[in-house]
Amino acid sequence: MPDLAPLSALGAETPGSIHTGRLVLREISDIALATLALRNGGTAPMPFGLVLPGPLGWNPGNLAGAFWIAPGQWMISADGRAHTDFACDLKSAAPDCAVTEQTDGWAVFEIVSPEGAAPIGNLLERIVNLDPRILNAGAATRTHMAHMSVFLVRPADDRLTILGMRSAAASLWHALLEAVRGISAHG
Amino acid sequence: MLIPHPLLGPRDAQEFTYLGDARLLARPDGMAEGAEAAFYDYVYLRNNPAGVHRELWFHEHGDRSWLVVTRDTLTHDILGAELATDVVRRERPR
Amino acid sequence: MSRITGGVIDRGTTLSFHFDGKRYQGHPGDTLASALLANGVRLIGRSFKYHRPRGVFSSGAEEPNALVRLGSGARAEPNSRATVVELFDGLVATSQTHVGSLRRDALALNDLLAPFLPAGFYYKTFMWPKAFWESVYEPAIRRAAGLGRLSGEPDPDRYGRGFLHCEVLVIGGGAAGLAAALTAARAGARVVLADDDFRLGGRLLSESHDLDGVPAVEWVARAEAEFASLPNLRVLRRTTVFGAYDHGVYGAVERVSDHQPEPGDGMRQTLWRITAKRTVLAAGATERHIPFADNDRPGIMLAGAMRSFVNRWAATPQRTPADPVAIFTNNDDGHRTAQDLLARGVPVAGVVDTRDDAVAQGEYRVIAGATVTGTRGRLGLRAIKVTQAGRSEWVDCAALGVSGGWNPNVHLTCHHRGRPVWDAALLAFVPGSDNPPGLLAAGACAGRGSTRAALADGARMAAAALAEIGIAADPCELPEAEDSASPPQPFWYVPGTRRAWVDFQNDVTVKDIALAHQENMRPVEHLKRWTTLGMATDQGKTSNVTALAIMADLTGRTIPDTGTTVFRPPYAPVSLGVLGGGDQGENFRPRRLTPTHHWAKAQGAVFVEAGAWMRAQYFPQSGEAHWQQSVEREARAVRSAVGLCDVTTLGKIDVQGTDAGAFLDRLYCNAMASLKVGRVRYGLMLREDGFAYDDGTCARLAVDHYVVTTTTANAGLVYRNLEFARQCLWPEFDVQLVSVTDAWAQIAVAGPNSRALLERVVDGLDLSNAAFPFMACAGVTVCGGLRARLFRISFSGELAYEIAVPARYGHALMARLMDCGQDLGVTPYGTETLGVLRIEKGHPAGAEINGQTSAAMLGLGRMVSPAKDAIGAVMSRREGLAAETRRLIGLVPVDPAARLVAGAHLFPNGARQSLESGEGWITSACFSPQLGSRIGLGFLERGEDRLGDIIVAANPLEGESVPVRAVSLPFVDPTGERLRA
Repeated sequence: MPDLAPLSALGAETPGSIHTGRLVLREISDIALATLALRNGGTAPMPFGLVLPGPLGWNPGNLAGAFWIAPGQWMISADGRAHTDFACDLKSAAPDCAVTEQTDGWAVFEIVSPEGAAPIGNLLERIVNLDPRILNAGAATRTHMAHMSVFLVRPADDRLTILGMRSAAASLWHALLEAVRGISAHG
Repeated sequence: MLIPHPLLGPRDAQEFTYLGDARLLARPDGMAEGAEAAFYDYVYLRNNPAGVHRELWFHEHGDRSWLVVTRDTLTHDILGAELATDVVRRERPR
Repeated sequence: MSRITGGVIDRGTTLSFHFDGKRYQGHPGDTLASALLANGVRLIGRSFKYHRPRGVFSSGAEEPNALVRLGSGARAEPNSRATVVELFDGLVATSQTHVGSLRRDALALNDLLAPFLPAGFYYKTFMWPKAFWESVYEPAIRRAAGLGRLSGEPDPDRYGRGFLHCEVLVIGGGAAGLAAALTAARAGARVVLADDDFRLGGRLLSESHDLDGVPAVEWVARAEAEFASLPNLRVLRRTTVFGAYDHGVYGAVERVSDHQPEPGDGMRQTLWRITAKRTVLAAGATERHIPFADNDRPGIMLAGAMRSFVNRWAATPQRTPADPVAIFTNNDDGHRTAQDLLARGVPVAGVVDTRDDAVAQGEYRVIAGATVTGTRGRLGLRAIKVTQAGRSEWVDCAALGVSGGWNPNVHLTCHHRGRPVWDAALLAFVPGSDNPPGLLAAGACAGRGSTRAALADGARMAAAALAEIGIAADPCELPEAEDSASPPQPFWYVPGTRRAWVDFQNDVTVKDIALAHQENMRPVEHLKRWTTLGMATDQGKTSNVTALAIMADLTGRTIPDTGTTVFRPPYAPVSLGVLGGGDQGENFRPRRLTPTHHWAKAQGAVFVEAGAWMRAQYFPQSGEAHWQQSVEREARAVRSAVGLCDVTTLGKIDVQGTDAGAFLDRLYCNAMASLKVGRVRYGLMLREDGFAYDDGTCARLAVDHYVVTTTTANAGLVYRNLEFARQCLWPEFDVQLVSVTDAWAQIAVAGPNSRALLERVVDGLDLSNAAFPFMACAGVTVCGGLRARLFRISFSGELAYEIAVPARYGHALMARLMDCGQDLGVTPYGTETLGVLRIEKGHPAGAEINGQTSAAMLGLGRMVSPAKDAIGAVMSRREGLAAETRRLIGLVPVDPAARLVAGAHLFPNGARQSLESGEGWITSACFSPQLGSRIGLGFLERGEDRLGDIIVAANPLEGESVPVRAVSLPFVDPTGERLRA
């Protein structure tokens, strides 16, 4: 273990968290991320037994999860393994693919709605210009949010995970809080 | 505007970056005889039709695919969209 | 007081508000206009040009007269239409467009000067002397003219945005819109119903007739109850759909809290972008008036508006309940107002009907075949002059309702260049066949305006829209409703010698149109610009068609031959605040922070914006009074000890694949496939037209793995171009690309002590020159096992490295390097010092690689390999670029104290300075602590052959001409000894 202390994407020693309106927003700092890309003409592997999903798909998996990000390319995630060299492990599990470490490339925010799906729907319509039917539970996609590029993953109706550029974490957090404020204004 | 992404369905045009005439796919071979004349055409001559136009769009805030979008510049009707890679492989077999 | 019984207002609650400092009372459900009328306030403002007293003219978005300043201080909103301002407790409104009091406006003098102020007056009169226009005439005219004034303060409010997606968007919540929404929502489609008003119902709220035997208001309430039970229907009240855009996208503004004293912590308004597969436009119709002499007095209003005030708001424009009210009409609709007035006990002085065969439809006097030819009452109507068969009489009345027929609200059908067509039976423009794709017009806006027709049309159009997208629907069951359709008589204005207003908001009269005709400004486009008709906040909603008809009359042509009025977005005024989205200050746009941002902030760094990034510009220390002192100290530290700079912002792109080398050979003008594993090479990228556009380093981490760095500014562009090359130009290559800019914190460690410093943090790697030479790279670990990448590269020209660690550790690594390098003289430096060091070293940056310079100009011509195809290589050799002889050189002023500025032009010494004699320009300049002089980089004709020559750097903007000497680059360490130390 290195003798250096990491900072969360929001720039604090502990991840950000806030309960606002009808939503709980939480920064996730311990998720490991790596992209996996097929070699030209290669076939999809099953790293850690994971079936790699098609466009808009997300597979939670057991040891690791995956969502489609581009033709022949996936984001592979593993909860709680940010401190490990996950890209190295993934490369071992998929040696014929290009693997790139991404753990620190992204700020990850999880949004949970204790009251079910509706507040997540209200949030989505204030942050992204996507037909909500695209982002049903089990879907993932990249889109445009407040002049930033983000990945959205909908693990369940009542939760949403947003991945944004780590360097823009504060702006993304602000945009989320403004959206929540917009919902509250409507009562 | 909505761009009908061949893999992801209709997407708002703000997710995309526009480049222009899809003739840019047909890049001349820089080592071939007469390359300079071919590149002159390639770099500077563009069709700018009032009507149906094949053009390149990049899904910057999406899957980073380059698309060939067929659009009527008079009405903004989108007549089709394909992955540029598919177009290149089909039209320029190697 | 002019409040009568009935109405859709909550009399159980009283709201108090202020107008021009005086306190009044109203009720929930009132608009500011209805509440003012109910309080007997008829004079509300002054007109734009002549400062004529004006009152409420309409009851909706079309209002030209009753514009007020709403609120105070920073929240003051000028030009608010009193007819659509929802009353709330504590509302404060102020009249505008007057000097002094509203009743005794000093500028009312303009009205006496009216004979001298016709249309086109300004254009003609203030022509001479020419110089007077900007200095005298225009400022004076601007002070006198114009509507309300802005607060001049920053907007204190927040604005939201959102995106809705639906199968059917219904615009308008009147009879047609409600039927459309019910039909579509019952079929299970996702429906958005947007209505401008704060209460659904549209004209149904303004009429007295029943639906299925119950008051229309009750039928609306039942529909609303059903809406609440339909989860697939979204009702947006107080929402104006202002524009139709491509592919079924509509812009709408929801006034979330404008009806509250303050938005508090919430949003004032929300901008919705609605993407709809189909749209039913049910925007209703707007009544038009009939111009006659002195028709602009307070108390004169549209007859339909008068009916709205009576039926919906229980307010009349009388001064006292005993005052009689008159009607002037060319159709049956005016009689409906008379009937409703009588039913509410308002005395009707009579109905003046232009039709010879008009008969009374109730207990009131009808003056058939007659016109109104004059009015009295300076601050409010007292009497009208009625002329019938050449005989005139004065009829006392306190208010006059005018009805000239109804214009369908075709605005949104025009937003894709659609042109309305003239319906000769209706005497109105109706939507043509070129609506925005997917938009169906229903009800009054399509010319089908009886209640029964509107209901049926809404249901029918919704079913048709659904059928087009494959959803089966039955038109909803409809209530029994009135079905009277009475086209007006084609009577457009009352001729006469006194002024008759056509466009109240812009003070355009029938005479002005005649003048335009006389001046040959006959096409509608010219008419509008010559007279200003149809401009400002109402965009001619009550005047355009009437003006067209008058012009047609003057030219002797038909109305459709004379022209058509078309409309652009927005339908109604939209505040810039909501379009801008509301984020201000540091949140105005996304900001990217480096991994050491918080550390740098704690050190007191001054930041500079570099694209979206915030970068440390310099690190002032106590005792330093000027940034130049900080920069000199930082630069000396790098040249003599060791400095640290966060360079994370440089773009990083991971390039993998068996063809990665061959691929990069095509992207860079120089070779990359030949780069050995564990080594780094400088690379230059050209655009396909042969000009240089980006440079950086390329490191080979493994046979099939490179990391490309780009400039901060071009990170996104280079990535996009790499993807273009991969997908569109050479899809046969096995290459995979990922942007990893944010994943790694990268810190430049530069200076003679950099090796010693790094040896203290890097785990067990031999950093000696032999083991890790200049341009080496390696994967390493630091600080006890943290994975890192080490590059021996140098932008400063010193012995230097860049070290990259996972971004979350950037902060801690920076702090550690500072801690353990104190004895080595470690110093953080910012972008300003970075710039000084690179100029001293002669490295090109954004000012040199600016998209207009070639590799040859940069002195890098030999990098363009003739042995391979690469983007831009062919065109870089074309005649025009090959003949280019300007070269990048160093410049030093002959007088060391002289100033050099970037942007200065270079001329031969002693030559006349002109465009023709120019020989180049200075791109970058700074003070070099190392040389003790200002130095610069620049492009000079045949620069490489003229080293040692004296030339002149001219800055004509400040009248400076400085002799400078051309010198070879770099200024510092020409042999590279420091670099390879």
